Amino acid sequence: MTKAMDSGSAMPRVDMQFDRPHRQHEPHDQISVRYRIEGCEGEHIRAIEHSVLWYTEGKGEEDLGVHFFQRLTDRALLPSATATGAFTTPLPQSPLSYEGVIVKVRWCVRVRLFFEGSRDFVSEHVFTLGRIPPAQLVSSRT
Amino acid sequence: MRLPRFFSKKRGHRRTGSREWGVFGDGLFHGTLLLAGLFFGALLVSGVAAPEWRINHAFLESRCTILAKGLARTTVADPPAAVITTWRPCLRVRYVANGSVHESWSDGPSTENTPDREAALRRLAAWTLGSEATCWYDPAAPQTVVLQRGYNWWLWLLSLLLPGALVLVGGSGLVRGLRSWGKSEEHRAASAGFSELLDPLAQPTLAAPGYPAVPVWDDLVNSPGTILRYRLPIESPENWTLVGFGLFALLWNAVLVVLAVGAGLDLLGGRIDWWLFALLVPFLGVGIGGVIMFIRSLVFATAVGPTQLEIADHPLLPGRQYDVLLAQGGTGTIRSLALSLELEEQATFRQGTDTRTEQAVVWKQSVAVFHEVNAAPHSRFEARAVVEIPPGAMHSFTSSHNAVRWRLVVRGTPDRWPEFSRIFPVVVFPPDAEAKEASPRPAGNGEASRSREVSR
Repeated sequence: MTKAMDSGSAMPRVDMQFDRPHRQHEPHDQISVRYRIEGCEGEHIRAIEHSVLWYTEGKGEEDLGVHFFQRLTDRALLPSATATGAFTTPLPQSPLSYEGVIVKVRWCVRVRLFFEGSRDFVSEHVFTLGRIPPAQLVSSRT
Repeated sequence: MRLPRFFSKKRGHRRTGSREWGVFGDGLFHGTLLLAGLFFGALLVSGVAAPEWRINHAFLESRCTILAKGLARTTVADPPAAVITTWRPCLRVRYVANGSVHESWSDGPSTENTPDREAALRRLAAWTLGSEATCWYDPAAPQTVVLQRGYNWWLWLLSLLLPGALVLVGGSGLVRGLRSWGKSEEHRAASAGFSELLDPLAQPTLAAPGYPAVPVWDDLVNSPGTILRYRLPIESPENWTLVGFGLFALLWNAVLVVLAVGAGLDLLGGRIDWWLFALLVPFLGVGIGGVIMFIRSLVFATAVGPTQLEIADHPLLPGRQYDVLLAQGGTGTIRSLALSLELEEQATFRQGTDTRTEQAVVWKQSVAVFHEVNAAPHSRFEARAVVEIPPGAMHSFTSSHNAVRWRLVVRGTPDRWPEFSRIFPVVVFPPDAEAKEASPRPAGNGEASRSREVSR
């Protein structure tokens, strides 16, 4: 899944490849991803952020926990407008991906591109950590 | 350059406020607080603290003769139609300053002003005309002289505390805003440690070491059990009801007493305020109702007797079984006492200006049910059961606004009282976690939801 957070004249695209089929990972696995940036020819990227994180979805306010974060600002390390990148990190023991009724926990890899000016673009790719079956409602109260 | 949008899209179909405008508003708010703190701080320092400091440190000592005395009156308008008059003792003194003789009315700290004229006269009577006294004069303006020195600590505290609090809240908010300006949400979350320190309202969640977002369980294992290893702490909804009714009864009746005393004093003075008396009647009704509800809750909470739950090990692991001991004290018969294992999700969200919390039980399993339980003061009811955490179950999870909680719940139906429920939270670790000391003994013959009564 690729998501644009900011619309601009050009719509970049980040193709992400995970090292595991079906993006299914287990705790303590090493997650390795490779990505390719396309569609932003003519624009200069001033920084790239790689992150592996979990966030909550559902009725509550969104909470976020960053497990891995890397910001590349060195011009020598930055890829050109069409280039590839890769990063690897071991996954933690918790929290596991969870498909609850009012609380959901999702893991994802994000690549955020910062262009000259104040424009940025984020590409988010969800994966699964652990094998927790979805929950079903028994009773609820407010 | 274009302005940021007021609204941006969040996940799903919810629209949320623009982060840029939010940061701008936050910065404006904290900047205003900071400026207000600096302004009032400067005002108080220059108007109160600095003059007092100069009197105590820069003024020179001399001897003076008291020539005359009187009261200085200060009148300040107090809109809409009143004035406030204060009085301050003043002395005319003759003294030598910078080698020449001066005559002047003494200045005192403005805090010597009192609205009580008699009190000011009593203070004035302490000085005798023609007597000699020690005085202190300003070397830069020798006509300024005082006969008393010292500090008004209350004003100093006020001048430090009030602007200090504004500067602290405004400054830390502004620094937090500046630190997060231009950063992505991942970057902010990755460097949240210092920002949380600056946020007085932040409520960081404590996670078990090595298990992000799994709650700590220290509070659940600090009480040893009588038969099994740990006695679990209790969360009783009835107790919160009792505290709520108690606080309401206390506060309401405190207001009632204040109003009643006012009405009684009026009555003694020969005046009857009919409006106040008319207000007192419904207030009295609500006050009595609050006390009755509190006493009823208190009787209910104490009549049923305490419930205790002991467990063989903690934290728990999916796929494992654990011995538990259920104990019910008190007197009387409980028609049924049921122990169940539940998984509850909790989400906190904002609705307008309200903060709401919603809970949903997403998994529930009956562990044991006991019928016709008879507890006596000298021998409590005790029963053992086995709890099994299902394999592949979600672990306990907690974050700032969301939680997934495991709990053992005891629900009872007493013979003569309403039903009650008592909750015992437990922490479940992720599957395959090599938890510290997590070496649960296989319980009984391995059957789930098995129970047996051992004593009563």
